Amino acid sequence: MKVTYNWLKEFVDFDLLPADLGHLLTMLGLEVEGMEQLGSGMDEVVVARVLEKNQHPNADKLSLCKVDNGKEILSVVCGAQNFKQGDTVVLAQIGAVLPGDFKIKRSKIRGEESCGMLCSEKELNLADESAGIMVLSGDLPLGTPFFEAMGLKDTIFEIGLTPNRADCLSVIGIAREIAAKLGKRVRYPSIVVPEYGEPVDSKISVTIQDAAGCPRYAARFISGCRIAPSPAWLVNRLNAVGVRSINNVVDITNLVMIELGHPLHAFDYNQVAGGQIIVRRAGEGEKFRSLDGLERTLAATDLMICDRDRAVAMAGIMGGENSEITDATTDILLESAFFDPPTIRRSSKRLGLHTESSHRFERGADLDMVPKALDRAASLMAQLAGGNVATGRVDNFPAPKALASITFRPERANAMLGLSLTAERMAELFRNLEFQVQPVSNGSFQVTIPSYRIDIEREIDLIEEICRLNGFDQVVATMPVAQVISDRPSLHQRLQRSVRDHFVAEGMHEIVSFSFIAADAADRLNLNVDDSRRNGIKLCNPLAAEQAVMRTTLLPGLLETASRNMSFRSLDLRLFEMRRVYHAITGQEMPHEPVYCAGLISGNRDQESWCQQEVCTDFYDAKGIVENLFELLQIRGVRWSSDEPEPFYHPGKCCRIMVGNTTIGTIGEIHPEVLKRYEIEHSVNYFELNFEELVRLSGSRKAIVAPSRFPDSVRDLALLALLDLPSAQLVDCVKSLKLQELEKVAIFDLYQGDRVPEGHKSIALRLCYRSSERTMTDDEVQQVHQKVIAALTGKLGVTVR
Amino acid sequence: MREQLEQMRQQALSAIAAATTEEMLNEVRVRFLGRKGELTGLMKGLGALPADERPKVGQLVNTVKDEVEAQIEQTMGRAREEATAKRLATERIDVTLPGRGRRQGSKHPITLVIEEVSEIFAGLGFSVAEGPEIEHDWYNFEALNFPPEHPARDMQDTFFVENQLLLRTHTSPVQIRTMLKQKPPVRIIAPGTVYRCDSDATHSPMFHQIEGLMVDTQVSFADLKGILTTFTNQLFGQKTGVRLRPSFFPFTEPSAEVDIACVICGGSGCRVCKQTGWLEILGAGMVDPEVFRHVGYDPEAISGFAFGMGIERIAMLKYGISDMRLLFENDIRFLKQF
Repeated sequence: MKVTYNWLKEFVDFDLLPADLGHLLTMLGLEVEGMEQLGSGMDEVVVARVLEKNQHPNADKLSLCKVDNGKEILSVVCGAQNFKQGDTVVLAQIGAVLPGDFKIKRSKIRGEESCGMLCSEKELNLADESAGIMVLSGDLPLGTPFFEAMGLKDTIFEIGLTPNRADCLSVIGIAREIAAKLGKRVRYPSIVVPEYGEPVDSKISVTIQDAAGCPRYAARFISGCRIAPSPAWLVNRLNAVGVRSINNVVDITNLVMIELGHPLHAFDYNQVAGGQIIVRRAGEGEKFRSLDGLERTLAATDLMICDRDRAVAMAGIMGGENSEITDATTDILLESAFFDPPTIRRSSKRLGLHTESSHRFERGADLDMVPKALDRAASLMAQLAGGNVATGRVDNFPAPKALASITFRPERANAMLGLSLTAERMAELFRNLEFQVQPVSNGSFQVTIPSYRIDIEREIDLIEEICRLNGFDQVVATMPVAQVISDRPSLHQRLQRSVRDHFVAEGMHEIVSFSFIAADAADRLNLNVDDSRRNGIKLCNPLAAEQAVMRTTLLPGLLETASRNMSFRSLDLRLFEMRRVYHAITGQEMPHEPVYCAGLISGNRDQESWCQQEVCTDFYDAKGIVENLFELLQIRGVRWSSDEPEPFYHPGKCCRIMVGNTTIGTIGEIHPEVLKRYEIEHSVNYFELNFEELVRLSGSRKAIVAPSRFPDSVRDLALLALLDLPSAQLVDCVKSLKLQELEKVAIFDLYQGDRVPEGHKSIALRLCYRSSERTMTDDEVQQVHQKVIAALTGKLGVTVR
Repeated sequence: MREQLEQMRQQALSAIAAATTEEMLNEVRVRFLGRKGELTGLMKGLGALPADERPKVGQLVNTVKDEVEAQIEQTMGRAREEATAKRLATERIDVTLPGRGRRQGSKHPITLVIEEVSEIFAGLGFSVAEGPEIEHDWYNFEALNFPPEHPARDMQDTFFVENQLLLRTHTSPVQIRTMLKQKPPVRIIAPGTVYRCDSDATHSPMFHQIEGLMVDTQVSFADLKGILTTFTNQLFGQKTGVRLRPSFFPFTEPSAEVDIACVICGGSGCRVCKQTGWLEILGAGMVDPEVFRHVGYDPEAISGFAFGMGIERIAMLKYGISDMRLLFENDIRFLKQF
């Protein structure tokens, strides 16, 4: 909503600079989002008179003028033809800076000196187009800055209104707020309609067939109008608030809408068959051409203004082409009505047609303003378009509504707000808002609300008004008095933090990617046709095809992030993401939103270094991160199973991470085909874990064991095994013996190649023996070691090398 | 015998004096004090002496032995010190070369802000609550007093999904879910991801909010101001000016926009605060009685306040990030700075 400083001053007296007025409005909840000075810095653009207009000696299309700026006579070259000697014009003097940073300098044009420029409206940004220079009325004092002389020096306020303040969609509404805050009275415009001759009833009849959609419809008949351009003051005023001038009649309806907040519509009376207005709903599929020239298909819920034969306007949204005001129009049917907000909103949304009118009606117009706005516009039409207003107005208002009256408890307001205002002060604030206050028993008030404040329906609304008008800055901050013991963060919350900390310690950077992914992501990931991860929840109104489906895995986001970074030559990546995925559950209305955590690594293991060789990361780097995480969370009994490899991994370099029979995650090298689809040219390892499972499985710490004080004995054991024997089985086999003296067993070497028989590999185990009770003798160590060897060779068929 | 002993003593002492290294001293020790050493040999010769001389001479031999031993030890100590000093004098490393090992990773700035804000509110007695991102219209709008066909719904462009569900447009539905689950008093914050059907330089279709809710028997608007002042002071530094100005949200009344004095210019006006000196960081207000009715609380018996803030906005102010899109591009060169 745009209003200007000068316009507001017509309705309320105030003594504030524009900046201070802006602050006052913002602190009233009418947030000033922008301020624009009209005509500031334009003092070198002045009123001047053409004393002589002569042909330019060297150019046919130019004239050479002598111009009086009140102080001196200047010679100016001009290209326009639409003026004559003696005209009052607008001169941009040397030093003026016109819109577009156009500096006026002394110059020679075809050999003749020109000390300025005569301006058109377009050059001053007062119109989109202009045919020639501006010719002003002759009574303006020469030399005065043009914007000042025309009363165009003004400040435009752009106000971001909240949807509840329909009453402030007008100059008068904002003036009322200023008056309330300053304790002044608003001057409402005096409206005198010069009525003439025939009664309106003989010209117009109104039938409301849908009183729910249209509780009130008023109209006047104005004959003999001359459709013409509006006077400059009206054009300028509309321009200032961003409304384009059309013609005098249409401009008047717009002016009244901005001034009083009530949208009006002017029909060409002679196009309204029978002078009959019928308000009804549209037929489903009915066609209608609105005055923007578009043919619209209507729905049965759309409210229409019709004449005897056909629809002539979409109620409260836009008029029809068939009855619009044209240059040939003489007689006018002027409509002022109230339409049901949800009805207007539904139609406006469905048609994608948002107008100044629909904007106001869907927020709620003022029922009592209906006749006032009608009369205001009619009187202006008589004044500016030479119209004759027929006697009386039609006002179809089947069920007048009483003003709202609300019981208000001052002490409740003080308790709610933390204030200690007196009841008298509160009553004063209400009266400033033009609310009527009646004291009732036990200190309460009965407050009657003007019809335009449709947002005030309950006591709490009045409490808000007290706080707002008294000033939010008058509320002194206090700390609440309450007995509260807040809960400790849940296990889920605490572990989320631990897991993030863990990944950070592993040198990984957290990313946040969009929850919605491309519809074809499942294809790009090679997911099987029956994979449930293909059933991502679809957005009905996605902004882009890349953001169409809620993700079921974090992999696409991480791959896209990797790809993007690689395109900037950031090749060493350690990324993680820890956020929700979204799984539709058959038979359940609400989807499941488990938190997953996933990591992606690529490139070199360590940063470039003078002391280390560059080593490319592989599966085991990823696995190490996961193993450390399991240790942190005390998750035991994890199996790394090569069964049922995921289709987006390299089939030989991936596995499921299982505890019992539950897959809690997967890990592997990403399939080269998948990488290609994400334009990634480097090998990438990835893991993804279901964090909900991690929380479920996270265990308590094992009992702490005091370390033995006796020396250890270390034995290395080189074993020859079949190539496909999982190495972990060797370790598991040794551990399964549950030997008390075995402190540690680890694989410390792995060899495949020429020095072992084909189809075999050599695995070296390092076993550490130690008793907690005494120093073990060689014999004792050897005995235990033999048990280990026997178990390995016996159970797993390996041989000692 | 005595002369022989004295002679041997002299020899030993001069050998010690001549020795410059540990090894040479060890050789001297072996030569004189070893099992087959010269002094040891002399000791063995004691048996040939008359019985009455044996103790005297024996004592004398021992004295010499001790003296030589002590001398060796002393010289040895000095030699070791010298050797160490010499070694240390020649060993030098370039301490300016970078250290070994992997650098720390980083949390995303959105996570950092959520953690920091949660910590501050934990100190003020607020627990963390969560709720679904794919929501019912009822929790996201109706229970929060956005009637169907109300223009207030235009404030939040909504993504709809299958089954009549939507992507929550704010974290406020967590208020409803929390109040339906528990009786007052309530003190929660709810950080989370939210979605709006809007995308340009200053709007992301996905972003984050933190919701706050306090309900008790005597909670006032002044308390809201107190809590938010404390919070902003802790987040942005002591004595950050806080300004509340009237606004509108369907689920609070009175409603306020909360501004802080611009953290960039300190209030004098700059590009970030659009010359106003103030930055809008929060929406807040007293819980609307309609909302209490929807969750079965008695608005005459209790009162409460709610607030909500955009995490991206706070992250941008805290870290001086000029373009919100940086937060979702996940460029490693950006992430490494946190």
